[in-house]
Amino acid sequence: MRRVVTPWVFLAPALVATAVLVLLPVLNTLWLSLHQVILFRPRSRPFVGLENYAKALADPVFWEALRHSLIWVLCAVTLQFSFGFMAALLLNRSFAWRGIARALIVVPWALPSVIIGLIWTWMLDFNLGVLNHLGVRLGLLSASVPWLAQAGTAMASVILALMWQGIPFFAVTLLAGLQAIPAELYEVASIDGAGAWGKFRHITLPGLASVIATALLLRMIWVANSLDLILVMTGGGPGTATQTLPLHAFLTAWSGGNYGQGSALAVMLTILLLGVVITYVWRSRER
Amino acid sequence: MKRRTLLAGLAGALAAAPLTRLHAQQKTTIRWWYHFDDPKMTPDELVAAFEKANPGIKIQAESIPWGGGGDYDTRLYTSLIAGNGPDTAMVKFGNLARLMEMDALRPLDTWIDSWAGKSDISDDLWRLHTAPDGKRYYMPLQYVVLYLYVRLDLLAKQNLKAPTNFDEFLAVAKAMTGGQQWGFGMRGGSGGHDSWMPFVFGTGAKPVKGGFVSPAALAQNRYFIDLYRTHKVCPPSAPTDSFVQIVNNLKAGRVAMAVHHISTANDMAATFGDAITAVPVPRGPAGTGWATYGDGSNCVFSASKNPEAAWKWISWLSEGPNNVMYNKTVAQMTVTKSGAANWTGHPKRFVDATVNSLPIAAVLPNLPQTADFTRVVWPQTTQKALLGQIQPDEMMQTFEKLFFG
Repeated sequence: MRRVVTPWVFLAPALVATAVLVLLPVLNTLWLSLHQVILFRPRSRPFVGLENYAKALADPVFWEALRHSLIWVLCAVTLQFSFGFMAALLLNRSFAWRGIARALIVVPWALPSVIIGLIWTWMLDFNLGVLNHLGVRLGLLSASVPWLAQAGTAMASVILALMWQGIPFFAVTLLAGLQAIPAELYEVASIDGAGAWGKFRHITLPGLASVIATALLLRMIWVANSLDLILVMTGGGPGTATQTLPLHAFLTAWSGGNYGQGSALAVMLTILLLGVVITYVWRSRER
Repeated sequence: MKRRTLLAGLAGALAAAPLTRLHAQQKTTIRWWYHFDDPKMTPDELVAAFEKANPGIKIQAESIPWGGGGDYDTRLYTSLIAGNGPDTAMVKFGNLARLMEMDALRPLDTWIDSWAGKSDISDDLWRLHTAPDGKRYYMPLQYVVLYLYVRLDLLAKQNLKAPTNFDEFLAVAKAMTGGQQWGFGMRGGSGGHDSWMPFVFGTGAKPVKGGFVSPAALAQNRYFIDLYRTHKVCPPSAPTDSFVQIVNNLKAGRVAMAVHHISTANDMAATFGDAITAVPVPRGPAGTGWATYGDGSNCVFSASKNPEAAWKWISWLSEGPNNVMYNKTVAQMTVTKSGAANWTGHPKRFVDATVNSLPIAAVLPNLPQTADFTRVVWPQTTQKALLGQIQPDEMMQTFEKLFFG
C-alpha cells in the first residue's frame, strides 16, 4: 500500500500546481469558447456550442491571421535556427575571447520582449531610425524607408526582430549538444580521411538530431504563441499585415470584449499546435 | 463607597477612551482609480488638500496602467463584475455605453442640480456629458479639444497664413511639401481617429445611422485619404505614425501642421516660442466644423457603499480653484469658466484655440462598439485605405456596419 501511495504523495504538490495553473485555465478557456461571453454583459453568458468556432472559420480575418502565423513561424524559426546553429559551431571552437562571446550571445534572449520591440521600433523608425540613417549613408538606400508602415516590409521587420531575440536559444542549446558529442568520433573520422563536410554530415548532424528536433519543436510552439513583439512594434498593422492568430485572439478579447470568440480562437491555435506535437511524438516513438 | 465609585468611574473612562479615539478616527475611505499620461504626475497634493477640507473622508488613489485604454477598461470591468471595484474612477466617453450596459454607473443628476459649482461649467460641456438616455453619469474633470498646430515660421517663408477651411488647408499643405518636409503630420496609428474626425465630419456629416456613408462623409474621407495617397503631403510613415511620431515630426520641422491638443502646448511653446500657434480645425464651406472633444471625467459606481463621499471627492475636483490645481497638474484644460477666464496653465493662444473650438466640439456615438472602433477597427481599416488595400468608401462602409449594422 505504501509503495502505491508514497509516489503520489511526493508528486502531489507538482500535480496540484499544474492543475491550478495549467489545467484549470485550459478548462476555463474551453468553457468560455462554448459560451457567448462579452465582458461588459456579465449577466448574459448563454451556451452557444460551436458557434464561436463556426464564426471564426467563416471570418476572412481568421484565415489571413493563420496565413500570417505560418509565415511568422516558418521564417522566424528557420532564421533563428540557421544563425543559431552557425553561432553554436563557432562558439564550439577555441579562440581567445570565446568566454566573452558565449556570455554576450545570451543578451538578446535575456532582454524582455517589450524592450526588444521598442528597440527595434526605434531602430527602424522612418525619421530617427539608425538603420535608415546607416542605409542612406552607405548608399544602400536612396531614402529612408518606412519599414513598419508598409505592408511589404512590416512582416519582414518583425521577423528580423524576433530572429535577433531567438538566435541565442538555438546557439546555447545546440552548443550544449555539440559538446556532448565525443571528440573521439571526430578523431576517428579524421584518421579515416573524412573532411569537414563529411564529419558534419555523418557525426555532427546525427549527434544533434534529437536536440535539434526538440529545440525546433519548442521554439515553434513559443513563436506560434507569441504576440508581444508584434503588439509592441506594429499592433498587427499596418492594417492587418502583421496580425497573427494569437494577436487576433488577443484583440478580439481585449478590445472587443468578446472573450467567448477570443477563447475559441485560442483553442483552435492550441489544436493546431497539438497536431505538430503529436506528429513529433509519434515519429519519435517510431524510431 | 465614594472612593469605589470614583475608581469605577475612572476605570470606565479609561476603558472608553480608546473607543472614543477610534470613533473620532473612523473615516470613510473612498477608492479612486485614475490614470495620468505622464507617470511622474501624482494626485498627492490634491488628495491632501481634499482630506484637509474633509477630515472624515480618506481618498485611496490608485494609479491604473492605461495600456491604450484596453488594460484600464478591462481591469475596471472585471473588478466591478467581481464586486471589488472602486467607489469612483476616471472614465472616458469610450466606455460609457459599456458601463451603462453593466448598470455600473450611478446617475449624478440630483447631486449636480443642487451643486454650487454647476453654473461654473459651460452648457457646452454639460451637453457633451449627457448620456444618450438624458442622464448625466459623468462629471466633467478635464478636457481638451483637438486643434491644428501650425508652424508660422515655415508658412511665413511663403507668405502663407494658417488655413481656416479645407481648400486652404490643402493649398498650405501642398506649398509646405518638398524634400524632407511635408505639409501635414497625419496620424494613421493608434489614436489617429481623433484627428481624422475633424476632416470627415467637418462639412456637416454626423456619426449617426447612415452618417458614415453619407455623400458628405464619403467625400471628406476621400479628401483625407488623398492627402496621403494622391497629394503626398504627409510623411511616408503616416499610416503607422502615432503621438510620439507626429510630435517629433512637428518639433523637427519635418511637418508644418499637425492636429493635437493643449496637453502638448507648453512643450511646443518651449521649443518654438511664437513660431508655432494653434488654430481651430478647418471648417466646411457652410461654416460647419467638427472638433474632437477629448474628455476626462469622474463617475460614481452604483456598487459604491459610500456614494455621498465619492460625490464629495469628484465634485471637489471639479470645483473652481481645485479644478485649476488639478488641470495644472495634468496639463489639460480646466472645465470651469472661472478657471478658464484666468487660466495661466498654457499660453493664451492655445487656450483660445481650445475654447473657441468648444461650440463645434463633438464626440463619437456612445455605443458599446466605440471602444473597439477607436482601438482596433479604425487604425486597421484606415491603414488599409492609406496603403491602397481597400478603397476609401469601403473604409466608411466598414465603420457604418460596425456602429449601425
